[in-house]
Amino acid sequence: MLLEMDSITKSYGSVTANHNVNFNLRKGEVHALIGENGAGKTTLMRILYGMERPTSGEIRINGKAVAFHDPTDAIGQNIGMVHQHFMLFPAFTIAENIVIGREPTKGLKFDRKTAMEETLNLSEQYGMPVNPKQKVADCSLGMQQRVEILKVLYQGAEIIILDEPTGVLTPIEVKELLISIKKLAASGKSFIIISHKLSEIMEVADRITVLRDGHITGTVNATDTNEEELSKMMVGRELVKLERRKLEYGDPVIDVQSLSIKGAKAKPLLDNINFNVREGEIVGIAGISGNGQSELLQAISGLIPYDQGTITIQGMNVTGASVKQIRESGLAHIPEDRYLWGVSKDATVSDNGIMGHLESTSKYGILQGKLIRNLVSEWVQRFGIKTGSLSTKAQYLSGGNLQKLIVARELAKETPFLIAAEPTRGVDVGAMEIIHGELLKRRDEKAGILLVSSELTEIMKLSDRILVMYEGKIAGELDATVATEEQISLLMAGGKAVG
Amino acid sequence: MKSSLQSLLQPLIAIVAGLLVGAIAIVIVDGNIVETYREMWNGAFGNFYFFTSTLARATPIILVGLGASLAFKAGFFNMGSEGQMVLGALTAAITAVYIPGPGWFKAIAAIIAAMIVAGLWSALAGWLDSRFGMNLLITTLLLNYIASLFAGYMVAYPFKDSTTNSALSQTQMIDKSVFFPKLFSGMTLHIGFVIAIVATIGLFLFIKYTKKGYEIRMLGGNPLFASYGGVSRGRLMVASMLISGAFAGLAGASDVLGTSYRYLDGSLVAANYAWTGIMATLLANSNPIGTAIAALFLAALQTGGMGMERNTDVPLEVSSIIQAVLILFITAKFTMSFIKRKKAGAKDGSTN
Amino acid sequence: MDQLIDVSLFAAALRMITPILLAALGGAICARVGLFNVGLEGLILVGAFSAILGNYLTGSITMAILFAIGCSLLFALLFAYMSINLQSNVIVVGIAINFLAAGLTTFALRAIFNVKGAYYDKDMQGLPKIDIPLIKDIPWLGDVISGQSILVYVSIIIVILLQIYLYKTVSGFRLLAAGENPTAARSIGLPVRKIQYLAVLLCGALCGLAGAQLSLGNVTMFTEGMTSGRGFIALVATMLGQSNPIGVAGASVLFGFMEALSYRLQNFSIPSNLSAMLPFVVTIIAMIFFKNNGYKDDAKKSNGSSR
Repeated sequence: MLLEMDSITKSYGSVTANHNVNFNLRKGEVHALIGENGAGKTTLMRILYGMERPTSGEIRINGKAVAFHDPTDAIGQNIGMVHQHFMLFPAFTIAENIVIGREPTKGLKFDRKTAMEETLNLSEQYGMPVNPKQKVADCSLGMQQRVEILKVLYQGAEIIILDEPTGVLTPIEVKELLISIKKLAASGKSFIIISHKLSEIMEVADRITVLRDGHITGTVNATDTNEEELSKMMVGRELVKLERRKLEYGDPVIDVQSLSIKGAKAKPLLDNINFNVREGEIVGIAGISGNGQSELLQAISGLIPYDQGTITIQGMNVTGASVKQIRESGLAHIPEDRYLWGVSKDATVSDNGIMGHLESTSKYGILQGKLIRNLVSEWVQRFGIKTGSLSTKAQYLSGGNLQKLIVARELAKETPFLIAAEPTRGVDVGAMEIIHGELLKRRDEKAGILLVSSELTEIMKLSDRILVMYEGKIAGELDATVATEEQISLLMAGGKAVG
Repeated sequence: MKSSLQSLLQPLIAIVAGLLVGAIAIVIVDGNIVETYREMWNGAFGNFYFFTSTLARATPIILVGLGASLAFKAGFFNMGSEGQMVLGALTAAITAVYIPGPGWFKAIAAIIAAMIVAGLWSALAGWLDSRFGMNLLITTLLLNYIASLFAGYMVAYPFKDSTTNSALSQTQMIDKSVFFPKLFSGMTLHIGFVIAIVATIGLFLFIKYTKKGYEIRMLGGNPLFASYGGVSRGRLMVASMLISGAFAGLAGASDVLGTSYRYLDGSLVAANYAWTGIMATLLANSNPIGTAIAALFLAALQTGGMGMERNTDVPLEVSSIIQAVLILFITAKFTMSFIKRKKAGAKDGSTN
Repeated sequence: MDQLIDVSLFAAALRMITPILLAALGGAICARVGLFNVGLEGLILVGAFSAILGNYLTGSITMAILFAIGCSLLFALLFAYMSINLQSNVIVVGIAINFLAAGLTTFALRAIFNVKGAYYDKDMQGLPKIDIPLIKDIPWLGDVISGQSILVYVSIIIVILLQIYLYKTVSGFRLLAAGENPTAARSIGLPVRKIQYLAVLLCGALCGLAGAQLSLGNVTMFTEGMTSGRGFIALVATMLGQSNPIGVAGASVLFGFMEALSYRLQNFSIPSNLSAMLPFVVTIIAMIFFKNNGYKDDAKKSNGSSR
């Protein structure tokens, strides 16, 4: 047994992230670690990589007990980690990113020439071609991930941890990655893959360990199980199927014509976007993040300017209008990054809650405490937002509860048009169901919703129509009742729709 | 409950630390600690005259501090209060001397003119940031020097006092009828202090309870959140800087109409009113009422220092050291929770 | 009639460029590790005072310079501890350092020299002027370059050394990495905190030299507040030069030259107040040439997820 993690427990105060977890890895094995958000997967791997210390338990490598005080110790034991959010230096070249920490030197000089040569050799040896001179900032996400993997190989990793490796890849890049993993495993490297993408796991893993709420619910051989069983082990219960009524669609609540943003790079950020969303309809935009979805939403809501195009909301031309004017024309917006756009961390729950509701909570320009309290506490009740009080600062709320607050706030405006961007990101399953239910309720109330999500299952579950974005264009439009995952994935990867 | 106790503990620790370092400084100059601090107390609060002098000194400091607190709350590091105050004072003096009319009219005109000029000087920096992306912190700092130099030029040439034989660069003295009335006969405390107190309460209420105050707070907390919610950053920036500068201008006018009765080149800079005001608001974390209290405290340190200088061999600069140490300690987030966090180990496991 | 532009203008400019250049290099190093050092003004002031004090105590120029470096290092250490260990807002700490420096130097002026405003000793030796053989005989250029204080030449050498250090050595590479992406740097085991400390201390040393040039490089004296905004101009030079040693040098040359020009203009019946504005006005205008989308980046850093 190459690696043994024995009875690992990790507590942060009263919260236990890992509870007596046992995990082991054989040489040349691909062992997947799966579970929902917050199940404890990342915590366990951070312990293995030396970024955290276990509260109790032991780690053994080749039978010998080891203790890691920081990543350097783990690297010293030939463990390498490719993080979910890449740990790269955008301004540096690929070669510099790979050799950092073990730079080849000529005397006192950093021998960049040798670094390039070694990078080329490495990439050839493992069959992952890269251009050592290219700056990482100019690389695609798939290429960046390749750099990350080459980096840990350069450091001599025998055990490679991949944390959610396929989240930002196109389907083609995912296939290439899985092939690389299998090749490397065949040559003796061992992999631990953290993921929640069951189909990919089934394709590449030898063994699968399932975590739920910090406990292990099972370790199985991939050949002995299937996706449904794994799902059940991950979630612990049957997910409720939501009823969807077939409705008559009304007039468009938003109409986007010829929307384009040039941007600084060769490819435009948005390229001639045309679509609409009608009353009583949920239009889902599928696509890998980074294909223009963020820019599209920011353009619609007035946060960024655009070079060309017209946008009409409820028949009113809002081209070039300010954020305030656009909101007043009937838009509400659940932002894709709640910490960046959706809240002010130092402000209280009530303060965060009244953004956009200032008219209804003030008289003659003065805020009315009672109105604010009534408004926000109703949301706390209905959505089950766990907070100490209305005066608790937003930074003390968990991500899921903060998201519930934001969703409540935006839905409460009961606008005819709603943007819901990654509405259930980082949110637990229970909260997800509540939010999905509320979105469908608005739809039934004849609102038009533009849903953007990188979770295909969410798109397929809620949308009436599906648009796929690729490289700033709308690559295709599908009727949600008949669209298949294959069709959507193909469009997401830039392929052409068939039929 | 715990956090409010902590937020009181922090300034207290800072004050104790400041007094400790001050004590060391006193020892260095061969002074007697107890005697020196006693003279310091007397200098600030020892009798009614000193007490009201402390309040009088606090007046411009409070006003500048309030202006700075508004800008800081909105997220803008307006470091230009000194230049804004100087231009305000210059404008007030010139207006009061040259505008025709009865005394009360001249006074009001002087105040308004001062606030407008200082406000515009401050808004200029805000506009440069909003339009050209120029770092506000640096532009306001640089504009300070330009403002002081310009004011110095104005009172050395065009508006120089020709009524006296003095070679000083200063404006003519304003007419007696324009003087701010004193609050107590024989004392230096004038109506500017009342204005400052009213302004303090007004600003506090404004920031906490009004819609615009909310927008300012959110803009300072997370500008992206504010934009997302429909708050116009550019306009609010210029408006906040305008009002912030106006406060500094009011401080300058208050000095001219209530204390100095003219503008004398370099006098406001030497008295360090503006920087003390900024220090006060930093000490109070940009809370208006806290700013006023901190301003009073700092003014007391300064008048106390003067008393110390008069009656001992210890130089008044000791109080400058105490003030600076205070700032250092307040800026250190030196609370219990921080220490607890360190013991538990940083969340991302890194100790470096 | 005096000429506006002549040899002595350029010679004076070279002398005035030096403090700004040294401080700006220090600012650049701090910026490269992610710390925006507004306290340059205070660090230079401390250096200026300590140089005079060191000279007074030991009579030796070398000791004076070392003393200046040492005192600025202490202040820089304070800046480092508060910004890095205690995680205080780096801007507020910088402002606090400026306050502390002003207060302490004024206090020390009284306490040690028993004077207010300025200290001047006519017998105190300043930085020696160095005549470079061969160069000094070149017409015009020789008069500009040769005969400057030693710190002027040292500063030029430091520019070259820093350029080599950052872009050719491993240590410099890791320093850049620590500032470019501290989380990534930590994840591969780089001691980010230690690197930041060293950077701030280096900045302190450079500001100490800047102060020494200021108080010992021309008229040997210390005046209260004698930095007069040079620390902030240096910060602008840092930003204009994009924290790159050669770029920073270029920007410093511009601002230093403006300062020299402003003094020269006084000989042409332009009121001293107005001519003294020149460096500041030019600095502000120069700021148009680099956009500061800082607030967006700062908001992302302090509020955003790590995306």
